[in-house]
Amino acid sequence: MKEEKLIKILFFIATFFVLSFCLIPFLYMLIISFCKSWDIFSLKEIEFTFSNYIKILKDPSLHCLDYIKNSLIISGISAIFSVFVATLGAYAISRLDFPFKFSILLFILASSMFPQISVIGFLFKLMKILNFINTYQALILPYISWSIPISLWIMVSYFSKIPKDLDKSALVDGCSWFQAFLKIILPLTKPGLVSAGLLSFLFSFNEFLFALILTIDYRARTVPVGIAMFQGLHGELPWGSIMAFTALSLLPVIIIVTLFQKHIMQGLTRGAVKE
Amino acid sequence: MKTYYKEDLKTSFIFLLPVFILTLFFIFIPVIATFINSLFRDIIFLNKRFVLFQNYFYLLSDSGFWQSLKFTIIFIIVSVPLEIFLGIIFTLVLNYEIPYKGFIRVCVLLPWAIPAAISARLWELIYNYSYGLANFLLLKIRIINEPVNWLETGFSAFVALVIADVWKTTPFVAIILLAGLQAIPKEIYYQAVIDRANFLQRFFKITLPLLKPAIIIALLFRTIDAVRIFDLIYVLTKGGPGGATTSLSLYAYKYYITGDFGYASSISVILFIISFIASIIYLRVGKFRQEVL
Amino acid sequence: MKFLKILFSLFSIIFLISCSSKYKSKITFMVGGAPNEVTFWDKIVKEFEKQTGIEVEILKQPADTDQRRQSLVIALASKAEDPDVFLMDVIWIAQFSRSNWLEPLNKYLKMSPLSLNIFFKNVVSEVDTYKGKIIALPVYIDGGILYYRKDLLKKFGIQQPPQTWDELINYSLKVQNFMRKKIPNFYGFVWQGAQYEGLICNFLEIASSNNGGVVFDNHKIILDSPQNIKALELLRAFIHYYKISPPNTFTEMKEEETRIYFQKGYALFERNWPYAWILHQKDDSPVKNKIGIAPLPHFKNGKIASTLGGWHIGISKYSDNKEESWKFVEFILSYNIQKKLALNLGWNPGRKDVYDDKELLKTLPHFKKLKHIFNNLISRPNLPYYPLISETMQRYINASLANKLTPQEALKLAEKEINFMIKRYKE
Repeated sequence: MKEEKLIKILFFIATFFVLSFCLIPFLYMLIISFCKSWDIFSLKEIEFTFSNYIKILKDPSLHCLDYIKNSLIISGISAIFSVFVATLGAYAISRLDFPFKFSILLFILASSMFPQISVIGFLFKLMKILNFINTYQALILPYISWSIPISLWIMVSYFSKIPKDLDKSALVDGCSWFQAFLKIILPLTKPGLVSAGLLSFLFSFNEFLFALILTIDYRARTVPVGIAMFQGLHGELPWGSIMAFTALSLLPVIIIVTLFQKHIMQGLTRGAVKE
Repeated sequence: MKTYYKEDLKTSFIFLLPVFILTLFFIFIPVIATFINSLFRDIIFLNKRFVLFQNYFYLLSDSGFWQSLKFTIIFIIVSVPLEIFLGIIFTLVLNYEIPYKGFIRVCVLLPWAIPAAISARLWELIYNYSYGLANFLLLKIRIINEPVNWLETGFSAFVALVIADVWKTTPFVAIILLAGLQAIPKEIYYQAVIDRANFLQRFFKITLPLLKPAIIIALLFRTIDAVRIFDLIYVLTKGGPGGATTSLSLYAYKYYITGDFGYASSISVILFIISFIASIIYLRVGKFRQEVL
Repeated sequence: MKFLKILFSLFSIIFLISCSSKYKSKITFMVGGAPNEVTFWDKIVKEFEKQTGIEVEILKQPADTDQRRQSLVIALASKAEDPDVFLMDVIWIAQFSRSNWLEPLNKYLKMSPLSLNIFFKNVVSEVDTYKGKIIALPVYIDGGILYYRKDLLKKFGIQQPPQTWDELINYSLKVQNFMRKKIPNFYGFVWQGAQYEGLICNFLEIASSNNGGVVFDNHKIILDSPQNIKALELLRAFIHYYKISPPNTFTEMKEEETRIYFQKGYALFERNWPYAWILHQKDDSPVKNKIGIAPLPHFKNGKIASTLGGWHIGISKYSDNKEESWKFVEFILSYNIQKKLALNLGWNPGRKDVYDDKELLKTLPHFKKLKHIFNNLISRPNLPYYPLISETMQRYINASLANKLTPQEALKLAEKEINFMIKRYKE
């Protein structure tokens, strides 16, 4: 039918628009990172070169690899702990009965929406007293806490899908709550664990304000702050190198999104919309 | 009174203990501490003393504060509906059955998945006056005759920020809407086709109304998030030119760096209250019911 | 219970991982700037290490002054032992000294070949002293100066650069009318009027040259004075009445924009910092060998004024290597190194004696005039919350330049708001 064909064409145009909208900045980044000059008006003479990448990797005082290392370790540890802690809590919330159950869940969920600037004053003073400023702990502890709400919510929704009878039969067979949890229920929520872990990892990797204020230099600084501070000439920035550094540091994120796109989407939809 | 099993209580308490401790120490206590701090004159180069609500009275006459509040609100009013509008287009595309759906989803997720600070750097180059992509394209297509100085004028900096923010967060809106879209039973569409409803009618009479709850959730979620915007502005415009694009978060941050913690805390408290009210609305409207558990 | 044990062991792993990296050197030096500057610091540091055997690690910062301040503030507010020694912009020193972050240097100076007399006295007494103690020393001094096209002035029979603003206006109009035939966007006078810190420097100069300025009296700021109003009127007139300054002066003109404009040959006079000289004299510069420098003009009964800028060096109070840090400070302030900084980076030394160096004057002949100008430096208010004051002033003064407010309104409103702010910061 004519209408169907028209719709098909429209959708292809829309798809093309959506793809270019999302990808053009990334393509631009890649192109500039491999060019000697970053003046797009004179890009007719495209000189393909690796020199930007070599430059930033060779110069130890730029600390590019340090930032990436810090980010990966901090985000990884935060994600693991966040999921671990949240899963325990989610199990309790979905299986066990205790007073104010619902309000507690709502309260914790609401906490992830607090503005980070409203806590940074106290966090700075706390980390200063503990002597944690410019260490991994200074970032890991807040990151775990701030990604618990979303992990919790995801795991609760996964747990609620598993019939409570499964627990009951395990308990009847002589397991304790903890054993039932570990051996029977947990394996069934594997996709949930992955979703929660990925979202926590992405949150920690992308976080900026805490990393800006609780770290001083390359010993604990993460990628977002490193790239924000990556500058050069007074008035003239070495955009080639900046784009190269950006491309390198986005590699983990791009890999994760490509491999786990399904999990991430599932996590987000469960985390935001309730039927 | 409901009776709770003793073992239930004990076990649930232990299972929830880590969650409580962490969120208590790093979310709730800091917020309360910030509020308490806002009642003091806490400036690093002066002696600390209790001043009750004096910081807030100063805020009332602080033109910089009102400017940042105005900016934050206008930013939300402009960018959030734009994100919803684009998000609907995105989600229709995401839902459509075409080959390479996975690839499309990865591409759509990427802007959302990267750090806001990094996306700000990308846009900083795009908006560069002399050699950025934006001026290049606009000049080539002859929409403008002279390159635009995006980041140096108040209005264009605002536009630049909105575009960059919309680019980054539309995917998120699209995914939330997608869940809502997929929840619409297909039978309704089949029936509509049988009743000879065309595409536009199907969209406006069925899709949009049934998508409303998801749209409202996306709206509120994005509003709460946009209220606390910091990363993008800090890296792209640094609040400039001359404070024209300073959000509340950035304004508070400036006072923290100056050493005036009490005042910065009071600004943070105001921001928190705004965000909290929005969260309550979100939780109410989201109709989170007990049955969920 | 079992999982408590797991929890504990996992947490200990975190601590072990994070305790791994330590600074490899004795002292850490935090500095930023343009890449050519930072690369040069690498060389200087290596020389220092060879000479003294003290290892130095440079913590490199970006070029933006606000970002440099931010990392230092966080480090010092958290009482970190590093960085030990760092450079500070002149306008932050008040915040750093009042927050008790700077180590007093008097006791080191006493036992050192360095003596206070070799530095510019007004600078040291106004900026580097707090409660009677010296807490920083000038590495690099900056002051606003007037660049002029001596070839164009000669063409019109003008022997001397303008000494009053009226002369500047007259010369500009004359030359402008002529030059516009060939270069339609030729302007008489380019200066920094965009809404940023540089605007305050420009305003301060012209206001002080009318015996006005930013005056503090009894915990109140006085901006709304007739001298200041006249000065702001003049700035506005440059753009809107005489039209000797381009219309984008108050939207875009910062240091680099004015430098590039003047360097292209599109302006007769330029107000800028001394750094522009070397760039204007580059081989590919259209104005090479056609320029001269002079003190900025003043009002008829006023005085010569130039805003103090520049960077000073200080030692952290929490440093664990103060002796070694002082050796580094001494090294940076030594005659040779200051001369090297001048020759390679165009930095105006904090020490007076280097300005008379014969070798230096061969490459940088304008240093002779600079030394004279630097004796008339006006510093911006030496207050820990100066950046906040500056922002308020920027907002209102720029609005007046944009014709949104009259000078009187702008200064009155700015004064009111700043005094309100100051009340909070009273002891």
